[in-house]
Amino acid sequence: MSKLKGIYTDIVKIRRMVFAELAGLALKDAECEEFDKIPYRIIDTEEATYRSSIFKERAIVAARVRMGLGMDYETNQEHKLLSEGIRDFLNNDNQLTEPLVNVIRFACEKCPTNAHFVTNNCRKCLAHPCSIVCPVDAVSIEEHAAVIDQEKCINCGKCKEACPYEAIVNYERPCAAACGVDAIESDDYNRARINQNKCVSCGQCIIACPFGAIADKSMIYQLLKSINRGEDVRAIIAPSFVGQFGPLVSAEKIVAALKKLGMKEVREVSLGADFASLHEAELFAEDVPEQQSYIGTSCCPSWTYIADKHVPETRENISDSSSPMIFAAQSVKENNQDSKVVFIGPCVSKKLEALSEKVKDEVDFVITFEELAAIFVAADIELTKVEAEEEISDASYYGRAYANAGGVAEAIRQNLKEKYEIDPPITKADGLADCKKTLTKAKAGVLEGHLIEGMACEGGCVGGPGTLLATNRGAKNVSKFAEQSPYKFAFENDKLNDRD
Amino acid sequence: MVKVKICAGSHCSLVGALNILETLEELQEEYPDQIQIEKVECLDKCEDIKKAPVVKVDDELITSAQNQIVISKVMERIK
Ligand code: SF4
Ligand code: SF4
Ligand code: FES
Repeated sequence: MSKLKGIYTDIVKIRRMVFAELAGLALKDAECEEFDKIPYRIIDTEEATYRSSIFKERAIVAARVRMGLGMDYETNQEHKLLSEGIRDFLNNDNQLTEPLVNVIRFACEKCPTNAHFVTNNCRKCLAHPCSIVCPVDAVSIEEHAAVIDQEKCINCGKCKEACPYEAIVNYERPCAAACGVDAIESDDYNRARINQNKCVSCGQCIIACPFGAIADKSMIYQLLKSINRGEDVRAIIAPSFVGQFGPLVSAEKIVAALKKLGMKEVREVSLGADFASLHEAELFAEDVPEQQSYIGTSCCPSWTYIADKHVPETRENISDSSSPMIFAAQSVKENNQDSKVVFIGPCVSKKLEALSEKVKDEVDFVITFEELAAIFVAADIELTKVEAEEEISDASYYGRAYANAGGVAEAIRQNLKEKYEIDPPITKADGLADCKKTLTKAKAGVLEGHLIEGMACEGGCVGGPGTLLATNRGAKNVSKFAEQSPYKFAFENDKLNDRD
Repeated sequence: MVKVKICAGSHCSLVGALNILETLEELQEEYPDQIQIEKVECLDKCEDIKKAPVVKVDDELITSAQNQIVISKVMERIK
């Protein structure tokens, strides 16, 4: 997990301020010219604070504004006013354009790629184990200290381990280190570039870049415009939502606040998780091991993209069950055909899932908790003072626990035990790199008969890039909320009967 | 005993109050008898979001609060 996850930095601040500005303009139905002012409102100092110049700082904010609206950011080779581009885009009623996750090239500071360096902790000791253990003879002892010949070094890390003074560091590009599927390469200028053939849109690099050079796109504007037009918008909110908006804001208050914002209805995605865990148990019981030697869960889109792009041989073993998001959206739309559904969650890649053929009629917008928090501020909805009205009780304990790593497999296992008397071996993949490794194992045939849970974000959905809370805090809140559920198991949830 | 009131309202939470709270709670584990933390509703100081987060250390009001500032004010009073 990136070291920056869960820490509030100026990067986080600027990102959230941009969201709040966009939300404010959408709510006001402001003219396009107003967008030109955002970079000046956010960077309102006399001199540069973060970068070489204030003009660059503003250009980066402008890039974030464009991406916040769902557009590509402009390169610096073409002259165009922010508002002009925006007008064309919004007039065509555009949503979000791919690719979803992008490096803002002129914001990238070209961090050195993976390399071992000797720091001034080096005492040029007599033993100098560093040079002795190096298998390629890259470490020499020079006048003042050990020196690593970067041409020879193969980054095996042996010298780093051997040094008694911790004098050798492994310097990694933070974005590339966070990307467990090695999608981050360098362009001709040595800036980071995302290889879209490998990227699974998980968003981890957004959190990891210490220069705030990577961002995803959003649908904040489109969502709020839809509400403004008086459309029937209904929200489904992912299980990791509890506590994300502060310790005084209960689940019920969040629901009430969403209604205040204009949502006609708010449902827990955990209800969809109950559907999904029952469905996946059924698929497992029917197919494993005769038709399929193992089954992977389907709820994390990045995990399924890893199968698509990196280990395609395993793709057909990833269950084709709809995700909890889709089940929850369907259960809303069944009774309200003309409604629009917004999925609110911790997830970046759900934005992409929602654009796919299979899903685009079910889910109209996807926004993150972080984006929603900025919307509440723009709409001047004070969450601590909202009156909670109705209780929220759509899902079982195990449905709500979907948000924590291990929760999905556990929910499916409970259903398998109860309904089919099967207790399968379980493998849990936690984090991008682990997902890829696990799928590679599955392809090699060592996970026969397994139920495999894949979560691209470490810790599960509570570790998603769109959360506001540190992962462990989010996880505690989820468990506590799950305990309060009226049902223990998915098969006890009588809300599911409303459907079939 | 230092009494810290930390605003957990919408504005303050968006711009870092949750992080300050986390740091404070960790500090409290080290000085359990000397720090009292109270999370409070919006203190109505946030018309301009630049004033958020808002924290009160005893009677001292801190606007645009940051981790380091809050922690050092608390530590000053403990010592
Ligand atoms: S971490 Fe950020 S600044 Fe550094 S190379 Fe990656 S994108 Fe560029
Ligand atoms: S896979 Fe994730 S971490 Fe890697 S480039 Fe894509 S969004 Fe970034
Ligand atoms: S939200 Fe903290 S003062 Fe209003």
